[in-house]
Amino acid sequence: MLSVKNIRKEFSTVVAVDDVSFEVKRGEVFGLLGPNGAGKTTTIRTILNIIQPNRGDIFFDGKPFDDAIRNKLGYLPEERGLYKKNKLLNTIVYFATLKGVPQTEARKRAYDWLKRLDLLAYAERKVEELSKGNQQKVQFIIAILHNPELVILDEPFSGLDPVNQIVLKDLFMEMKDKGKAIIFSTHMMEQAEKLSDKICLINHGKVVIEGKLSEVKSRFGKNTVHIEFDGDGEFLKSTNGIDKLLLYENSAEFEINDHQGVTNLFALLTQKLKIRKYEMIEPSLHSIFLSMVGGNKIKKSEGVSL
Amino acid sequence: MRKALAVARWEFIEKVKTKAFIISLILTPLFMIGAFVLPTLLITKPDTEPRIIGVIDETNDLGKLLSNKLEDKFKLPDGKPNYIIRHIGNRALLDLEEAKKEADNLVVKEDIEGYLIIRSTIYNDSVFEYRAQNVGNIKVTERLNRTIRDLIIEKKLKAENLDPEVIKKLTFPIELKSVKISKTGEEEESDFKTMFFSAYIFIMAMFILIISTGQLLVRSMVEEKSNRIIEVLMSSSSANDLMVGKILGLSALGFVQIGTWALIGIAIALKFGTAIISLTSALVLLPFFILGYLFYAAIFVGVGAPLSTEQEAQQVTGYLVMILFIPLLLAMWIMQDPNSPLISILTFIPLLTPTMMAIRIPIQMPSLFEILANIIVLSLSTVAAMWAAAKIFRTTVLSYGKRPSLKELWHYLKSK
Repeated sequence: MLSVKNIRKEFSTVVAVDDVSFEVKRGEVFGLLGPNGAGKTTTIRTILNIIQPNRGDIFFDGKPFDDAIRNKLGYLPEERGLYKKNKLLNTIVYFATLKGVPQTEARKRAYDWLKRLDLLAYAERKVEELSKGNQQKVQFIIAILHNPELVILDEPFSGLDPVNQIVLKDLFMEMKDKGKAIIFSTHMMEQAEKLSDKICLINHGKVVIEGKLSEVKSRFGKNTVHIEFDGDGEFLKSTNGIDKLLLYENSAEFEINDHQGVTNLFALLTQKLKIRKYEMIEPSLHSIFLSMVGGNKIKKSEGVSL
Repeated sequence: MRKALAVARWEFIEKVKTKAFIISLILTPLFMIGAFVLPTLLITKPDTEPRIIGVIDETNDLGKLLSNKLEDKFKLPDGKPNYIIRHIGNRALLDLEEAKKEADNLVVKEDIEGYLIIRSTIYNDSVFEYRAQNVGNIKVTERLNRTIRDLIIEKKLKAENLDPEVIKKLTFPIELKSVKISKTGEEEESDFKTMFFSAYIFIMAMFILIISTGQLLVRSMVEEKSNRIIEVLMSSSSANDLMVGKILGLSALGFVQIGTWALIGIAIALKFGTAIISLTSALVLLPFFILGYLFYAAIFVGVGAPLSTEQEAQQVTGYLVMILFIPLLLAMWIMQDPNSPLISILTFIPLLTPTMMAIRIPIQMPSLFEILANIIVLSLSTVAAMWAAAKIFRTTVLSYGKRPSLKELWHYLKSK
């Protein structure tokens, strides 16, 4: 469906995106990950032809961008906004007609979606009367009403309550089943882990890791331990033989780097904590993210302070 | 193009329904009538009550003559005299200072409208004084002035032993009736006032259209930028379609507005029976009107797209409007010599062409060659301006914060 090849985008002095490449196929959910300011939004805008890259190419089913492709793309921008003074239904219909959907058809579909997302009561109300979360749902409708083949959602989950997050997740799966390609960006790794088939992690405009989620994870090995416990896990911070510790109130995730010491470690754990669960797992995306991105940051800041 | 029409439709329909638009559609003509038409009607409205005017007369006879003449000449609708002269002071033994005091008192008490002092020296220096609380009443002062002047000329002529009948003939009032001769040699009755008025109406219509549509354009771009809708729009439609659609939709809005006002204006004009603008002038002006309008619309887009706040937008539209006004400052000069080479050259500057032509065409039709040449130059400039505006729109409509420098703008124009 989409292939992005070696794109680079500069803004006067900053290189926002540097040599980014990836592919997205139909029926695939693609997570574009990275910390704030990594270049996710710039990459997305380049794909949508809102801005032009300084270098590199973008192909849709092997063809470069043209006007016909616009109607096959759906977009939910990160910065949310709608016309405030206009009526909900009219606004949705307008954006659909801009994507080539005939007026009457657009109206029909808009009613269906409003009904499905519990917004029917607001159809004839002004947009400004809606809550932020509801406005976001409206924007989501706008992104998909014309039945696009590639949907690009920039931070779709931010600002949604848990109930609506589930609604959105179900919609993701539905579109995936219909063979749509979905790209979404996020810096919330739990979401990405649950939804993505493929990920691309970018930092400072460069691709750090890219590939199928399962492959990425196995690349990071199966020597990660996840435990759930009662008690004070503080001592883990100073325990030898473990790495990349993520310590929470009642659980922890870490990597074992000293395989000889595993038995000792297990003894130590059972002695100090009441262990409820112990498993060897693939590292979570969160941990990969931190080791790839967070690590860099720490090194950098050290460099500065020295 | 379909998308441009969708944008145009949206911009037009959603704005035409707003309260702000409907209110301005109705209130503006009411305001115009209130501000310009009513005062004129009031000034030209005849008095209903006689006005009493005092006279302190040193000449003994001029006051009496004035009284007769005024009563004879100016009558109220019901036939009563409009002005009644009241003599102040002892006629036989006049004490000027004493009489003045008395007259001042009467003025303050509003027993009299004002009073005249006619000195015995009037035949030599032709000076008389009118004193009143309101010396701004042009109608009264003008009438008094004219009547006294006529009386004095009459008296002087009598002193030369001329026949009263001859005097009557000689002093018969003269009225100027000017006839404009058009290029084809036809006569066209017109005077300075209607000539100026037709240019004025045309320019005002264009100003209102350019300013209101221009502001709408800039504001709609700034709004879409600030609520970030522009990103969704740009992902749905090409920048060109978006720009063309906006210009079309908001122009339609502007034309509805100006059209409604024009109808009201024509209705009022017909009611009072004055032809405001000649058909030929209007037809020749039409291409300048439309082209000039599109030219300015392109400039508004080009200038407005890089802005991101309402305040900036207002500032910039203010400057543009000033340029539009330049030819009005030159109006008097243009009217004296509408076909001078310098004015011809100035007319070719696209920013000034529409207004210059609006002033020149009703006064004296420029040559066919000049009109066509100007239409061609303005058309080309409009196309160029649209092209440049589309470039700037495309590249800057997503930029926020800082305004682009001239160098950057140049760079945008060169980009594909």
